[in-house]
Amino acid sequence: MHIPDGILPAAVCFGGYATTGAITWYSLRKINQKDDPREGIPKASLLTAAFFVASWIHIPIPPSSVHLVLNGLLGVVLGYYAFPAILIGLFFQAVMFQHGGLTTLGVNATMMGMPALLAYYLFRLRTVLGRKGNRLGDRKGRPYQALTGAFGFLAGAGGLGIAALIAVALLITTIPTYLDVEAERASIYALTLAHVPLMVIEGTFTALVVLFLQRVSPELLGD
Amino acid sequence: MKWKLVVPLVLLLTLSPTGAAFAHGARIEYTISMDVQIRATYDTGEPLAGGQVTVYAPDDLSTPWLTGVCDEEGRFTFTPDASRPGTWDVQVRQSGHGDIVHIPIGEDMAMTGGAGYTPLQIVLMGVCVVWGLVGSALFFWRGRG
Repeated sequence: MHIPDGILPAAVCFGGYATTGAITWYSLRKINQKDDPREGIPKASLLTAAFFVASWIHIPIPPSSVHLVLNGLLGVVLGYYAFPAILIGLFFQAVMFQHGGLTTLGVNATMMGMPALLAYYLFRLRTVLGRKGNRLGDRKGRPYQALTGAFGFLAGAGGLGIAALIAVALLITTIPTYLDVEAERASIYALTLAHVPLMVIEGTFTALVVLFLQRVSPELLGD
Repeated sequence: MKWKLVVPLVLLLTLSPTGAAFAHGARIEYTISMDVQIRATYDTGEPLAGGQVTVYAPDDLSTPWLTGVCDEEGRFTFTPDASRPGTWDVQVRQSGHGDIVHIPIGEDMAMTGGAGYTPLQIVLMGVCVVWGLVGSALFFWRGRG
């Protein structure tokens, strides 16, 4: 999932930095509009640590192995804090583990951070559907557990799925002609297919986390 | 009349390509050809079998000098052109993943090398980053209390 240095052409890397700059600016503006922008920092900081470590958790899915990304989870729990959190996590991964690279930091941040925000919007639909008076919410106007779980799954799986699709689109369209294009394309498709089981895993994990949070401290989910 | 014909014939024979067979001096030239063997693996230690290798010569980093494919063990061997000293760049790529290694050929040659850190260094750095993040979380929590 992390695209390393030297794979993408320079124009794409610049484009990645441009979109990352724009989304970071938008996210920070949204955070600043909150009553207390500092309130979300401990949560964001802890989840950045989780994101940073997650890329070390490899799951063998033949023929290769994939690692956890957790961008959907970050989007659901952190909202607008997710994008800066992912950017910081990716920076440390690139500098220390050589997961990704500094030239491709912008591309990777957009690839994983934008779907995180989309996952957040998707998860927020749950509160709209579960409002008082709707049949999907309880008497206090809180969404049912099943609804929370389902949207948690969709957001977690969707966040990763969209990121994988962006990665495929970027990689397929920029294969250098001096390579064996067919072989490279086939291996890209194989790796993408390996992300389908990972989507189920991350979706389930996200659903479990949001169900736990809804029971223990619903305010963390913005309820 | 006859010997006038013989002299050019002898000269012609000694200068001709077969002339060396008649000479008694010997000369040996040597060139040392040096193979560079690389081995590409994922973080998990799994080899990058079938990874596509691109080698760049030091004086031309925009056009590939050699392309090839790693074997099942992720190995690839090539012989760099000794007349082009400098840093040779070797990239291995598979499904958008890969790495570049910079191999100095010439004066500052190292017999082995690689890109990256040892596992201990990685663990130590990882722990530092996680501690930094947890520390910031605790700091902002305390501020709220």
